[in-house]
Amino acid sequence: MYLTNGIVIGVINAISAIGVSLIVGIMRVVNFAHGELYIFAGYFSYHLSTSLGVPPLLAMFLSILFIFLIGIGMERTLIRPTYGDEMYSLIITFVLSIVLQNAALLIFGPYPNKPPNLVSGATNIFGLYHYGNQRLLSFFISIGILLFIFYLIKMTWFGKSIRAVSQDREMSSLVGVDHLRVNMLSFGLGAALAGGAGVIIAPIFPVTPTGSTAVSLTAFVVVVLGGMGSLKGCVVGGLMLGIIENLGAAYVSTMYRHIFGFVILILILVFRPWGLYGQKTQ
Amino acid sequence: MSRMDIKKISLPLIFIIIALFPPFFLSQYWLHVMIISLFYVMMASSWNLIAGFTGQVSFAHAAFSGIGAYASGMLAVNLGVPPWLGILIGTGVAALLGLGLGYLCIRMGGIYLSLTTLGFSEILRIIITNEDKWTRGTMGLQIPGFFSEYSKANYYYLFLVVTIFLLIVIYWIIHSEMGLTFRAVLNDELAASSSGINTIRVRILAFTISSAMAGLAGGLYGHYLMLITPDIPSLGQMFLVLAMAVIGGMGSFIGPIIGSFVLEILSEYIRIYGEYHVLLFGLVALAMARFAPEGLMGIVGKKWRKEWVH
Amino acid sequence: MGALIEGKGLTKSFGGLTAVKEVDFHLDKGEIIGLIGPNGAGKTTLFNLVSGVFHPDSGKLYFNSKDITILKPFEICRLGIARTFQIVRPFLKMSCFENTLVGIIGRNDKNGGKEERKDEVRTLLKFVGLGNREQTLAKDLTLIEKKRLEMARALATKPKVLLLDEVLAGLNPSEILQALELIEVIRTKLEMTIFWIEHVMGAIMKASDRIIVLDQGEKIKEGKPEEIVYDPRVIEAYLGESDA
Repeated sequence: MYLTNGIVIGVINAISAIGVSLIVGIMRVVNFAHGELYIFAGYFSYHLSTSLGVPPLLAMFLSILFIFLIGIGMERTLIRPTYGDEMYSLIITFVLSIVLQNAALLIFGPYPNKPPNLVSGATNIFGLYHYGNQRLLSFFISIGILLFIFYLIKMTWFGKSIRAVSQDREMSSLVGVDHLRVNMLSFGLGAALAGGAGVIIAPIFPVTPTGSTAVSLTAFVVVVLGGMGSLKGCVVGGLMLGIIENLGAAYVSTMYRHIFGFVILILILVFRPWGLYGQKTQ
Repeated sequence: MSRMDIKKISLPLIFIIIALFPPFFLSQYWLHVMIISLFYVMMASSWNLIAGFTGQVSFAHAAFSGIGAYASGMLAVNLGVPPWLGILIGTGVAALLGLGLGYLCIRMGGIYLSLTTLGFSEILRIIITNEDKWTRGTMGLQIPGFFSEYSKANYYYLFLVVTIFLLIVIYWIIHSEMGLTFRAVLNDELAASSSGINTIRVRILAFTISSAMAGLAGGLYGHYLMLITPDIPSLGQMFLVLAMAVIGGMGSFIGPIIGSFVLEILSEYIRIYGEYHVLLFGLVALAMARFAPEGLMGIVGKKWRKEWVH
Repeated sequence: MGALIEGKGLTKSFGGLTAVKEVDFHLDKGEIIGLIGPNGAGKTTLFNLVSGVFHPDSGKLYFNSKDITILKPFEICRLGIARTFQIVRPFLKMSCFENTLVGIIGRNDKNGGKEERKDEVRTLLKFVGLGNREQTLAKDLTLIEKKRLEMARALATKPKVLLLDEVLAGLNPSEILQALELIEVIRTKLEMTIFWIEHVMGAIMKASDRIIVLDQGEKIKEGKPEEIVYDPRVIEAYLGESDA
């Protein structure tokens, strides 16, 4: 059962991580505010469905859309001018994450909120144990999103532009790719993925304003583990981390759950900074 | 001494003399605010040394102050080590760990380095929170004060002396050849290395010195508050230090000093209305980083230069 | 033999791309060697191997018979090899004075007090023609001034060999003449050995004692300028480029 938890969480991690990976790969910017976008989506989803009575599925879509727009706004106003100066983009997104965290505290209040489940009940897995249906649904939705992303990146023109820009910015603009637009849309997409992960997980684990840090850090660990800029890496890394954390929490110690991630992060950065599938660059 | 030298020394001297007076007319509350401000001056200035001068944006700075506080505190509580010795030991531990962390990060560029320091900081905080047999976790560890008799005035002068000492060291570093090599690494690490600068040594040196300073500041802070919690090595504290340096002006000597005092005093006023200061500082820091990267010092400096020119 | 710099069998790949393949070369003291080849031939990568920015996957590098293959850039600089960059890289937020001083500090010799170093900086800046720009920040300089500054910084390290990477790129004809004059003075007055990548063919052909031609990572020809100019393989390599 912990294994299954691990897998489900792992897949959701992967989505979240791709959100970070995209932005890092394209713009060489680590979006520290990632976790905040994630929980904002959760909160939007909650308020839309409970306070406004919007059907849950629609609430999820709308929340993701909002976050997408917010992401684009962020890119245009804050990130774009710092492009090229790594230090400032780090500082800006870090400060932004703190600002959003505090804003969430003020706007949404400190209590956990949980949007309603889409489905209820539990299913019997292989006759071994019962597992929540909502979690199973989340799993399948996540797989769906992952497949959609893979399709987007590998097959469509947009996806190809993204890959071109991340590999060689100068060349791609010579070939006619509007790299500023790609930046903007990628950031929006990255944000949307954070939001997506958020709305998927919110019915399972309620969102709190302070939970965003853990989310961001988990996403970073996955990205580094899998290799910056590698989608496959995000999936594998996400799964691995999800499984390790859950098994570790179950069999070793629940309090140190998050330490596994950080230790992995540091070990990778020291010994194999390009992760499992990343590019070995200078 | 030339006229320039006299001018250079007299201004800080005036400030120092002015700084000697607060205990005589400030209330206990505002004296406390001054002491906290001095703590932040130490933290922001030493963070400026790695981030503003060598370009390594470390998120572990608050963690190092936590190391200083907890090392000294636990030594005092468990082994009866006198605070002044405990603080020195704490500083040493912080320096050693800073050396280690700096070495660990040596082959990493901006993003990876920041993530590693972030991970380091969080690992430390989680350990401190969970090992409550030793640290009392979030309930806080009570530790003895620096002075056997509690007197805010004494603490004020203690902090003042140490802060001035640290600032003198930082000033000397910045204006020495070492400082020049720091800025070379900040501007362009590859070009610096190709010009013969041992960039590895520069980066590790910056890390070690600044974490030692953070450890020292943390040790003092702990023995002043007499109650230390995992809030000290937290990212929230890290944010405040960063905001002070950014808003005051990264890469300048006076910037972090101004930033610390301004933000700390402001936060006291804002607290009357509610816990909004973090949000406000964040927004200001964003605006600064976006529109005025050189912070308040940059804005004031530009105005000054305009006056001189005309 | 006593070549000043010698490279044997140098190979370097990035991912699937082999940038430099089994390249041998040598520089004798006092020579000016030109390194030419179409874009992507591996010229800058070779420079990066020599100056320690990258380490070769295989092969060896020697400086004065000392193995420098895996030394770091600052160690190589202190041994006496200095370089400039294809896209000029002075320390933008520092003044010309400070830029040059860094080179002196990098040299890591214990002699010389503050005053002597100040004089040395001033002399160097005057030498490259930036005598009146001492306090100007590097980011406020024109392109050719930035290149001069990079030269001053490199010379401050008292090198025995200078690696110049497309120093003439982006300069107009009169600036090119000024640059060539400066290089000539450096070569004669400072007895500098120069290894030089360039696309401005006229200049490099005229000034060099010997030319090495790279194409797709391999050395395809080496010889005196007169021999190179009419070599069919060299012409083919460049023509191939202009098709693409």
